Amino acid sequence: MADHSAEEMAPTPGERITGFFKRKDVARTTILFVAWTTLFIVLGLVFYPKWMPIVMSKEMKSAESIMIWFTVISAPIAGIVLAVTTNAFLDMHRGDTPPPDGPAIRTNGPIVAIWTIGSLLFALVAIVWGLLEVNSQAVAAGNDAKSAITIEVTGAQWLWTFKYPAQGIETHDLNLPVGVPVVFNVKSADVNHSFWPVQLGVKIDANAQVTTVTRTTPTMIGPIEVKCAELCGLYHAYMETNGAVMSKTDFNAWVVAQGGHTS
Amino acid sequence: METSTQNQVSGGKHLTSAITFLFLGVAIVATVGFTLHKVSADPQAKMYATTNGTINYNGQNLKHAFITEGVYPEPIASKAHGASGGSHLNWPSYGPATHLVLPAHAYVTMTLHVYDSGEKLNTNYFAKVVGTVGSTATFDGASAGSILATEVQHTFTLHGIPTSTQDPLFVNVPLPRVVADDKGNNIPTNDPGTNKSGHTVVFSFVTGGAGEYVWNCEYPCGDGTYAKFGAVMGSTGYMSGKVSVING
Repeated sequence: MADHSAEEMAPTPGERITGFFKRKDVARTTILFVAWTTLFIVLGLVFYPKWMPIVMSKEMKSAESIMIWFTVISAPIAGIVLAVTTNAFLDMHRGDTPPPDGPAIRTNGPIVAIWTIGSLLFALVAIVWGLLEVNSQAVAAGNDAKSAITIEVTGAQWLWTFKYPAQGIETHDLNLPVGVPVVFNVKSADVNHSFWPVQLGVKIDANAQVTTVTRTTPTMIGPIEVKCAELCGLYHAYMETNGAVMSKTDFNAWVVAQGGHTS
Repeated sequence: METSTQNQVSGGKHLTSAITFLFLGVAIVATVGFTLHKVSADPQAKMYATTNGTINYNGQNLKHAFITEGVYPEPIASKAHGASGGSHLNWPSYGPATHLVLPAHAYVTMTLHVYDSGEKLNTNYFAKVVGTVGSTATFDGASAGSILATEVQHTFTLHGIPTSTQDPLFVNVPLPRVVADDKGNNIPTNDPGTNKSGHTVVFSFVTGGAGEYVWNCEYPCGDGTYAKFGAVMGSTGYMSGKVSVING
């Protein structure tokens, strides 16, 4: 008679994973996970682009891509959370004797490894993507520095004003020429605000003590909305203004109409 | 088998209970929302512009509407807060109403009798007259496109949320402060019912289609909080209000 040792009888990692997924509750959770994940992926790829503001700059295109792909990437995480929640809801045992708890997942080495490595990969993708995007915008800002127009943006309760030093004008509308890089020097005349030209994909704090800087290059002609994204008092909700990206000819005509001069 | 059937029945009951509680929760939230909306109904007195004839502007015959307001250093004189002046007797106030109702597609002439003192603006832009006919206003009869940003008592600044459903409307008129010299010269304001010295500011602007807008003062005339935009500047009905542009 051969004497099998305890090691020979222990299940292999593959058998442990197979066994884990054969459990009734795990099988149902897996199906729910696939369903929820698919729903969020469809949401990210199909509906998000329709719900997002019109893309009118390279920065907005980047922001939209990040929103869409981060939604897709994080879909499995939302999927597993909602799958477990849904499964728990469907398998409620309130009022009767609940079944005993199953084996703890923390003792299942392969499952813990998959979970940890998967989470690590998600986090790395997010960090690397973000760093690459920040770097590309910094490089573009350096290249465009000489050709950019500068606008002094001032937030005041509860209106924005825009000074164009080179053109010699100050307005409450933000008009920009298409294809020309623009540098926004942003400050506040009173409390903290947040400058957000929505369709241009940039947003930055407007502080009373410090001038903050953000850049963009409009790529499409059309109207834009400028909002305050920092709760700033009674009429914060009304701290919005009109703006437009226009052809260079129209922009120059507008500057002249405002009493300014073109370079 | 009995246990399985009992579990199924129990599960069905739980599902029914869950759905019932869900609907109950939605009903409670909706009731609270509707109640708050009803309670927060506009308490501001309305003032309707009066229409008198038409005026030709840029080739269009527009209704000519008139509206007159005052700006006072205390709420009693403004008449916008009752005979007692309400609970904030040291707050400046527009009056006699702070919800202005204007006709759509009209040439509106607004007269402001102003009686308060003042200092400098936070933002010099609001010392300019913007959005009026000719980008000017008359200050005690003299036409100008701006006043000194250091001699402002308040501003009348009308604006709204840019939407595709209503026309944009932006008006900014700075109001000159009253100083001792003004009182010495006893500048008349032809404001009925007051003996105060002050200034009279008149300007016109053209309304678009119907829409809802707000106006507020851009001079920091509140208390020391929120960069002098606290207290009176943080409350509607004194130095801020609504503008409704209506058809008909």
